[in-house]
This record gives sequence, C-alpha cells and structure tokens, in this order.
Amino acid sequence: MSERTIAVDYLARVEGEGSLRVRIHDRTVEDVELRIFEPPRFFEAFLRGRSYREAPDITARICGICPVAYQMSSVHAMERALGLAVAPEVRALRRLLYCGEWVESHALHVYLLHAPDFLGYPDAIRMAKDHPEIVREGLELKRAGNRIMELLGGREIHPINVRVGGFYRCPSREELATLAEPVARALELAEGTVRFTSGLDFPAIEEEYEFVSLRHPEEYPMNEGEIVSNRGLRIPVDGFDAEFEERQVPHSNALQSFRRGGGSYLVGPMARYALNRDRLLPRADAIARAVGLEPVVTNPYRSIVVRSVEMVQALEDALRIIGSYRPPERPYVEAKPPFEGALRCRAATEAPRGILYHDYRLGPTGIIDSARIVAPTSQNQKRIEDDLRALVGRSLDLGEGPLTQACERAVRNHDPCISCATHFLTLDLVRD
Amino acid sequence: MPAPGAAGANGGPAPPLLLAVGNELRGDDAAGLRVAERLGHDSPRSYRIAIAPAAIDRLLEIWEGRPLVVVVDAVRSGRAPGSIVRLEVGRDPWPPGLGTTSTHGLSLTEAVALGQALGRLPRRLVIYGIEGSTFGVGEELSAEVAAALPELERAVAKELGARPAGPAGPAGAPKGRPPHA
Repeated sequence: MSERTIAVDYLARVEGEGSLRVRIHDRTVEDVELRIFEPPRFFEAFLRGRSYREAPDITARICGICPVAYQMSSVHAMERALGLAVAPEVRALRRLLYCGEWVESHALHVYLLHAPDFLGYPDAIRMAKDHPEIVREGLELKRAGNRIMELLGGREIHPINVRVGGFYRCPSREELATLAEPVARALELAEGTVRFTSGLDFPAIEEEYEFVSLRHPEEYPMNEGEIVSNRGLRIPVDGFDAEFEERQVPHSNALQSFRRGGGSYLVGPMARYALNRDRLLPRADAIARAVGLEPVVTNPYRSIVVRSVEMVQALEDALRIIGSYRPPERPYVEAKPPFEGALRCRAATEAPRGILYHDYRLGPTGIIDSARIVAPTSQNQKRIEDDLRALVGRSLDLGEGPLTQACERAVRNHDPCISCATHFLTLDLVRD
Repeated sequence: MPAPGAAGANGGPAPPLLLAVGNELRGDDAAGLRVAERLGHDSPRSYRIAIAPAAIDRLLEIWEGRPLVVVVDAVRSGRAPGSIVRLEVGRDPWPPGLGTTSTHGLSLTEAVALGQALGRLPRRLVIYGIEGSTFGVGEELSAEVAAALPELERAVAKELGARPAGPAGPAGAPKGRPPHA
C-alpha cells in the first residue's frame, strides 16, 4: 500500500489565499480539496441593516479586480424589484464600464498570471526579462480597461460613480470620446493577443463540462439574460435557487455550488463562449474563426484563447458604445421609500469569471434585511476539484514536483478569484 | 485626477516626484501617506507629491522617464520598528527580508522588478522604507513609527532637493490632501 500527498500550501498567481491538498491511495485519487483559507469576510452580514442604496458601494469592496461586477449585480437586483427602468444611454454606459472591467481582468490573467505557465516561467517578472514585448502589451491592454473604469467609475479600483438607478454623473460626449483612440489601439492589440495565445502549446485534454452562463436575445451576455446550460437548462434568474445549491464543505471557507441533484458546473469565459458563440461581434467572431477556435472549447488550458477573444469582444463593444453615445437626459432614476411591502431583489450578471448572483430582501423603508452573494469562483470550486481529480488520475507516474506544478496550473486555468469566493489555494498531496 | 505625467510644465523636464504608498486604515502602513500629507503643507515646493494608485502596475507609467522619484512606504524586514531604510534602485541591493505584498495585482517590489525588466523606471528611483509593527485594520500608527516620522520627512525632503521653487514653481501650493496618482 502506498500513500502519497500532494500539497501546495500557498497557490501562486491566483487572486487571494488558498491551498490544495490531494490524497492518493494505491494509485487511486481519494481526496482532492481546494482549500480556501482566506478568512470569511462577512459582507452579507455587513449589508444587513444598510440602505439598498449602499449595496453597490459596499459590495464593490469584495474585490479589487472585479468591483464593477458587484456593482452591476447589486444595482440590477434593486432596480428589478423596485421597477426602475434606466435610460438606454445609462444601460449602454453600464455595459461600457463592464467592458472595461473584463479587459482589465482578462489582460491581468492572460498576460501576468496565465501566460508564464505556457512559456515556462515561474512568474510574469521573469517572463518579462525574456519577453518584454509580451508583458508591455499586457500592461497596455490592462491600462485600456482601467481607463474606461476610471472615466466612468470615477476611479479605476472600486469605482464610486455607480448608483441604483444609474450613475451619479454621466460623461459628456467629448469626455467619452477621449477613450476612442486608446480603446481602438487596444482592440488591435487584443486581436494580436488571440493570435499569440492560440499559437501556444496546449496539453491534449478535453473535459466534460456543464457550462452555465447568461444568454441574452441579442448580445454577448453581460448585465441581463436567462440562465442557460449546454445540458438544456434555461431559466429566468429568479429560478437560480431552484436549480443550484450551495454546500458547506469542511476544508474551505467558501461554499461550494452544485446543480441540484447533480454535480459540478462551470461558469466563466469557456461557458459564456460555448453558449453565446453566435453573439460575438464581427471582429471578435472573425478573429476566433481566423485562428480556428472551435465553437465549444472543452480543453481548460485553451481558456486563455477564449479570454483573449473575450477581450476583443469587450473592446469592440466598448468602441461601438463610445462611438454612438449621447448623454442621457438624467443620469439616474430614483425610487423613494416607503416601498409597498417587503421586496425580494435578485439579479445575475456576468463578472469576468462568470455568473455573479445577488439575492436581497428589503424592508418597506429600503433597509436590507438579508443578502446572499454567490460569486463565480465559489460556483467553479467543485468543478476545479473535478479537473484536478482527472488530472492527478492520469498523471500518477509524475514525480512530486511536476505533479504539483501541473495541479497549480490546472487551477489557474480557471482564474479563480479566491478573495471573492470566501463567502477560497495552498497543494497538499498525500499518497497512501 | 490625471496622473502626474513625466513631462513638466511647458514640456520641460518633470520635477522630482514624491510617491507615497500605503493604506490609511492599517496602522503603520499609513506612514508613507503621513509623510506626503505633512510635506504637502510646505510651500513652495520644488517637487510634486502623489499617492500611489491602487493598481500598482500603473507606477510604471507614472515614474517612467522622470529624473527622480522618491517612494515612501512602510516595510517589514525584521528591523526595530521605526527604523528607516534607504534604497536606491540599481545601486543598492534589495535587502533580504524586505518584502511588500499585495493580493490584488502587483506589490511595490514586483513593480520595481517589472520596471527593471521592461526598462520602465525613472532615471533615479529611491525608496524610503520605515519599519512598521502595527498593520491591523483600524489600528493607529505605532509610537515608534510616529516618533520617527520627522526624521523620515527631513530625509525625504532632502532627497527631493527641497529648494523653494518660487510662486510660479511647477508644483504650486498644495490644497488639502495630495492627489491620487
């Protein structure tokens, strides 16, 4: 009998603090645990007793990489329940702000966190010494995303300009037009990113995923849509709890999500792309075709190509919005309490890492009675463990070091945001 | 607030820049910000003051091409709290044990290493670190750090060549807090 443990005590190049432990007994993978030890953050408890108006600014603090996602899910939840309809121009500006966040987050992951895995470097800094042009491009793309967030959000991290009903202030046409040149340049760079990432060497691995994402009748999904999967699920957002459940697991400070009566599922770029390939804008569609990216990508390593296509999509969309923008008559619409009875406020939007579901209950005075936030990484946790189980199962002959590295890499394929999930990596491999 | 660009007024050489790094709410991590705040009251000044953006990778574009950038930050290196370390990038070795960490993007250490790898550093980059002991949320500056701030301020001002620039100087008189870069 042999027992082997693979342990990564502190996962590198992921967002937040987590670890990994795998136990192998007689060549059978027994336990795979993605351990999120980032401490619980109690945001849902902080929200209780606060005004509905404070939700976007409080929840934005959950993450420095994807604050806009938190703002978008919270404002849409409140607005749906309050019956607030925002002006089309405000809707477009929100999409533009979200595009900025997708670009900033994807550029960070593609260039600084994920690319070193393919080029054989321990981190982006050592990669920059040999490939400075790659890192320069990544930083320039990230900067383009940050610029959008800065202009619309008031600042690039934790934007302060989003409110329930719209924005505190909307930019003039002239102000927004200053983004056109840097965004157009970034769009060209991002097309180059797709060509670069599609030429990387990928392990020949295909997984069977249940992909889950939003789907909108006309657009690549961002702020609105039904929840769909490649296994026939098609539900309104309000049906989330009927189809998905969160479970406490002893090894993690993050709840794990499952399909009710089923197993793991995957949200994020691979899911969005597989379920919305037909919604890509022309340049994103053209570059995906040009590099031969299949309509459904099931090789998790190739997520880097999908993320790159999504950068093109977001920048193309951003450029379109900037070009057609007219300021709204009013930057926001308002609902004044008291409201009629208690309200249930639910929404899901597409954060860079996938569906972000918010569910609030408001009292008649607009005070939050309860809040529940289901982040993309907590939804993907179980699926990441499944990827690891499969990887370790087919890699039992690898030595300690290479197997550990392979496990870390498999986790990074999914760009986990551990900070967000703790409501999440260090690998601990035990071979019995 | 636009980032202070590398070009000075009238396209001339950019004035030296004091770049404060820190977190207002975490004890001694606010030390760099306190220095910026107090030096911001000196008028006139021959240098500019900015607070480092949360996205640390932005430092590369803020400091690239400047003749002199002085960064002030709290550090943890195992020295006695309140100890001041001065480090000139490219001249002095990075002291062992001196690390700055961040879970969101790059740390200052990584930004310097990335700047070196990409050739995007100011002509001179001097880092002043003050050894902190309290970094908890909501904590105050430690007595040791508070006591060492005047010395740190003098050293930083001297490094920046704190000579009066005259009323039409590029920096002008500060109003309130220094800008976020």
